[in-house]
Amino acid sequence: MTASGHPIDSILQKEQNKNMSIETLKARGLIGPVTAAPVQPAAFPFGLGLSGVHEVAEAGYGHWAAATGFVLATVQPARKGTCLWVSQSTVGLEAGHVPTAVFREMANGTQPRLSVVTRKAAEALWIAEEAIASGGVRQVIAELEEADFTATRRLALASEKHGVPVTLLLPHTCTGATAAATRWRVGTRLSSTNRYDPRAPGAPRYRAVLERCRTAPMAAGQAFDLEWNDETLSLHMVSGLAARPAAPRPAPAFGTAPHRKAG
Amino acid sequence: MAVGNPPVLAAGIYPGLPLTDARSAMPDLVAEEIDRDSDARALKELAAWMVRFSPLVAMDGIDGLMLETTGCDHLFGNEGGMASALSERIARTGYTCRLAFAGTPGAAYALARSAAAEHSPIILPPGEERDGLAGLPVRTLRLSGPTLTLLRRFGLTRIGQLYSLDRKALSRRFHSREAAEAVCLRLDQALGLRAEPITPFRTPPDYAARLPCPEPLTDGTGLQLGLDQLTGELCGTLSASGLGAQSFVFHAFRSDGTASSLRVNTARPVRTPDHVLRLFRERLDRIDPGFGIDLLLLEALRTSPMETGSRPLSGDLAMTNSDLGVLSALADRINARLGEGHVTIIQPEAHHPPDAAERRVPFCGKLPEDVTPPETLPGLRPVRMLDRAERIDAVAEVPDGPPLRFVWRRVTRRVVRADGPERIAPEWWTHLPPANGEAAALPRTRDYYRVEDDEGRRYWIFREGLYGDGRGGAPEWFVQGLLA
Repeated sequence: MTASGHPIDSILQKEQNKNMSIETLKARGLIGPVTAAPVQPAAFPFGLGLSGVHEVAEAGYGHWAAATGFVLATVQPARKGTCLWVSQSTVGLEAGHVPTAVFREMANGTQPRLSVVTRKAAEALWIAEEAIASGGVRQVIAELEEADFTATRRLALASEKHGVPVTLLLPHTCTGATAAATRWRVGTRLSSTNRYDPRAPGAPRYRAVLERCRTAPMAAGQAFDLEWNDETLSLHMVSGLAARPAAPRPAPAFGTAPHRKAG
Repeated sequence: MAVGNPPVLAAGIYPGLPLTDARSAMPDLVAEEIDRDSDARALKELAAWMVRFSPLVAMDGIDGLMLETTGCDHLFGNEGGMASALSERIARTGYTCRLAFAGTPGAAYALARSAAAEHSPIILPPGEERDGLAGLPVRTLRLSGPTLTLLRRFGLTRIGQLYSLDRKALSRRFHSREAAEAVCLRLDQALGLRAEPITPFRTPPDYAARLPCPEPLTDGTGLQLGLDQLTGELCGTLSASGLGAQSFVFHAFRSDGTASSLRVNTARPVRTPDHVLRLFRERLDRIDPGFGIDLLLLEALRTSPMETGSRPLSGDLAMTNSDLGVLSALADRINARLGEGHVTIIQPEAHHPPDAAERRVPFCGKLPEDVTPPETLPGLRPVRMLDRAERIDAVAEVPDGPPLRFVWRRVTRRVVRADGPERIAPEWWTHLPPANGEAAALPRTRDYYRVEDDEGRRYWIFREGLYGDGRGGAPEWFVQGLLA
């Protein structure tokens, strides 16, 4: 027995005759579980796709594709385990579905994806909760028309208990407080210059604004200009200023610059 | 007039008499029109309710039911006990019946139609068909009208007279060989010399568990408890045989002759009681107890051996069986709540046109095998593909230019950058070469363009057809999807 000054040791010494097992210690409230809530990182992407419930909304009508691309690139659902994709039928009519080739390519993995289409948002949230509780699904992505505080609160509790991250994709009309850990607004921007053909669209670019962040409130309001590089399959930040390719200018004629002496 | 009750028959009015004559004989006659459809429906409902006595129930004409009672009569003691239980229950429903038990369906039919009376069922022990049927009229042998007329002409009115007939003499007397063979067949079937399988109106289950209630149940808690007990019992039976079932049907028989049932389907064979109970729980309130439920029956259909999980060699690369089991349990719960086939998984198809390259199939516990490895065309495929391509009005340079401006969903969009065309031809091997003049029916080549408008939104647009390909008029433009 260690001779430390811990209160448990004194109690143990006092009741040496009794059979002190873990259950009795727990029953007396002397030991408790040693778990701590996972720490949300204070840097991009602020826990999106790692833990908890996060919302990604489109910045305006017609930016749903940008929001989806952002989610696939950041969350990378095909890498970790089975992904469940729940969508409301109205979203499918507006913006279609995500084909497997892009799902695998942008999310960089080969894990299977189950999809469910429902009519009501309440059903979609119920399905998300069931999927979290079942234990076979590692990621849940839900496309809804609206999400209110009570529903997202239940989802957040379930997600925290089972450790399954949930991402909600919402339209631009969603406003109001929810229980999500972060809320992003993603809009599309003009793509970068295509290296091989100046008239073709280049790498897709997005502007993601972190509207709300529970764990790092100071970071709310930050805007990230991101570009998806399809060779390295990663998102990286780009400068927000340059929106157009550099204007071509004539090369200086040979011989106009003075020769530089070496050494 | 087709049928009458005893006072009518006692007054001398027989079936076949025109209604006006019957009315004149008995002025205060109450008559109802024959409605064979509702009769058939009522018979079907009664047959569904008869499942509580025997799992194999067949319709027998328009007013009879045939039950296979082998192995069911011990539940009521013996056949006499079963007969009295049957007549008592049927009396409660308001029908009258004539019961006959025999070793062959033919003998049972004959006895029920002729010898049995309303409150005196006839039980013929197996093996005594010859004596039992000897005195019955020939019309109960299920023969056609002309055959019966012929037999009557020969003076053969009782079945006993047919026993000692020479078969060859019979076939000589009958004009057609089929009639003679029919007589011999029916006779042999009634006596048990030839087999007669009965076709039940629904396939009997492989396994079932029943729970009779001493007092009729009138509320949901009793139903829940009964279902718990039955599920435990049935799953125990399934486990003992090493099987699992993909379909469970729960019947509740009310004391007034009606029954209601619930059906639950699963993606893979299961035999865990908790899982089955959870699937039933959503729908248990659809059963209305009515006047009281006095029998609960749980059946297991579509049984098959359950796979015992075998671990793959590299556990982190392949999905283990237990993962798939958990996923199918989740799919079952979602399907139970929303309806069948809501949980889908993408099945890749061996077609190259992008809108036919994959298909959504209901998830059934297995991952689809890859038909062809998916193409990796980074950046060239849309992140959102519309389920149906939408028509747009586009202005483009002829013949191969990308659109310069187009109108989609009533918004004009100006194209700033464009890439293309990517030519995807249709599958010519699936269409037969046309006869002359039918070239317009063939599918057309598509030219896909990736365009970006002045606000940064990127689309995947195609032009259906080439200028001058002869397969229809001017080509049309569509939006197939949205690029990231």
